[in-house]
Amino acid sequence: MSEPIELITIPGNWNFDYTYFAGHAASRFFAALKDSRQIMGAQCPACHRILVPARSFCDACFKRTGDWRPVGPEGTLETFTIITAAFPGLPEPPIVMAYATMDGADTALVNVLHGLDLTDLAAAAARLQLQPRIRAQFIDKPQGRITDFSFVLA
Amino acid sequence: MAIVGVGQTSYKRAHTELSSADMIWTAAELALEDAGMGVDAVDVIVMGVAPDALAGENGVEKTAIFGAGKPYVRVNTGGVTGSSAAFAGASYVGSGRAKVALVISLERMGQATTSQQVFNTIFDPVYEKDFPLTTITMAALRASLLMRVYGYSERDWALIAARNYRNALRNPLAHIHKDLSADDILASPMLAWPIHRFEACPMSEGACALVIAAQSAVGDRTGAWVQGIASTSDSYAMGDRFHRPEGTLVDLLSLRRSAERAYADAGITDARTDLDVVELYSPFSSAEAMTYPALGFCEPQHGPRFIQEQLTDASLPVFNPSGGPQAANPVSATAMVRIAESALQVRGMAGEHQVPEARRAVATGQGGATQFSTVCILGAERPE
Repeated sequence: MSEPIELITIPGNWNFDYTYFAGHAASRFFAALKDSRQIMGAQCPACHRILVPARSFCDACFKRTGDWRPVGPEGTLETFTIITAAFPGLPEPPIVMAYATMDGADTALVNVLHGLDLTDLAAAAARLQLQPRIRAQFIDKPQGRITDFSFVLA
Repeated sequence: MAIVGVGQTSYKRAHTELSSADMIWTAAELALEDAGMGVDAVDVIVMGVAPDALAGENGVEKTAIFGAGKPYVRVNTGGVTGSSAAFAGASYVGSGRAKVALVISLERMGQATTSQQVFNTIFDPVYEKDFPLTTITMAALRASLLMRVYGYSERDWALIAARNYRNALRNPLAHIHKDLSADDILASPMLAWPIHRFEACPMSEGACALVIAAQSAVGDRTGAWVQGIASTSDSYAMGDRFHRPEGTLVDLLSLRRSAERAYADAGITDARTDLDVVELYSPFSSAEAMTYPALGFCEPQHGPRFIQEQLTDASLPVFNPSGGPQAANPVSATAMVRIAESALQVRGMAGEHQVPEARRAVATGQGGATQFSTVCILGAERPE
């Protein structure tokens, strides 16, 4: 072992394709986005929370959700980050990503927020810290995906 | 039961001289050597590794130490993997299924050329993956909420990070050995408001191992006695944690519950006086701030003031004497390193960063989207 040896490195790459199965609840949620531009919540029969985005069960109460109802289209921003650095494979900055609670919902949902002037980062952050009202703005041709809408200031 | 052996590689960007199996074996050998035991004394092996994609190897531990012919379990709970593995090992010992557990955690992310893209895959593929959710942005969303609700400032985040870097200067195993001031940190580029580059943890590799022994198997070894250990989960959905009467997303309910259980078992009634050392799973400063009220150090609204107090009040426990995860974040191992460092402290074996007369320490872990938390209390006092 006294001879110095060259340490070998072997190149590798993971590049797999997947098809994710959204299930019944999310499929219905996405259909409502596409067909009627509505954000749907599902109610837990035990804690009565309207869970948004809709899902098939409440994991806190271990119950199947019951009633579905639309929420929004306006809501209140809860928290945010302004992404300023680029990371490989992720969307180009700057991007505002935020959690907002749609009117009528008991949970917040994540999306990106468009239309805010980000030239002065501190000023933009200060504005968002005031928990502004937001509105869900749909794209021209909804595809039945969570990206069919984004937040804009109301 | 007690931790009677600790083994750690150093933590750095990449251990280019070691294969994955070599890293596991190195930490295991060091821990068994510290315990004065051979592998024959081990009854069960628990391994902690988080996402395989960080290493680019499925079952990255497969070429390591199965030859010993022992029961084997692998744990993956994201960032809390290391302490979940310790919890699993302690459960084997506590239940009487094993007298001695060897618990090892490995982080091999140095083989990844990019990590944030891999971290995006830890989020829900149906409702979340299309957004730039990563470990950094997840922390930033919490940091801005803490600022709005409890009045933290960007400088507060920098003060916490600066203390961690300063402490790490005395820990030869830490990844980052740079004396960065709060001003240096605030001057570093913004990654995702309000998180600056030097406020984010590094990408680190390394392996950590513990030998956990039942009291009957401890003999005359110097043990770090497990006085309390608890593990609690919460809803994954971050959006579900904003409007709950018992606490918001940043009130870290799962950590509070774990602390209540572990403190009760350990007989801790006042965290400020009953503990000497605090090793926190805090890859970002905001993660540290969330622990203050959850661990009983202060009321949530007094968090910003507590940052000053823990820096200046010598009667309070020492926070992250190792430098914590901001100075080395081998993801799968990080939460175990908190336990390992706490064990070294109460055994009086922490070397340059030894806290004088450390008798009792708390180690925390958080994983996933902070839906998993662990708390472990270790003490120097041998039980009757």
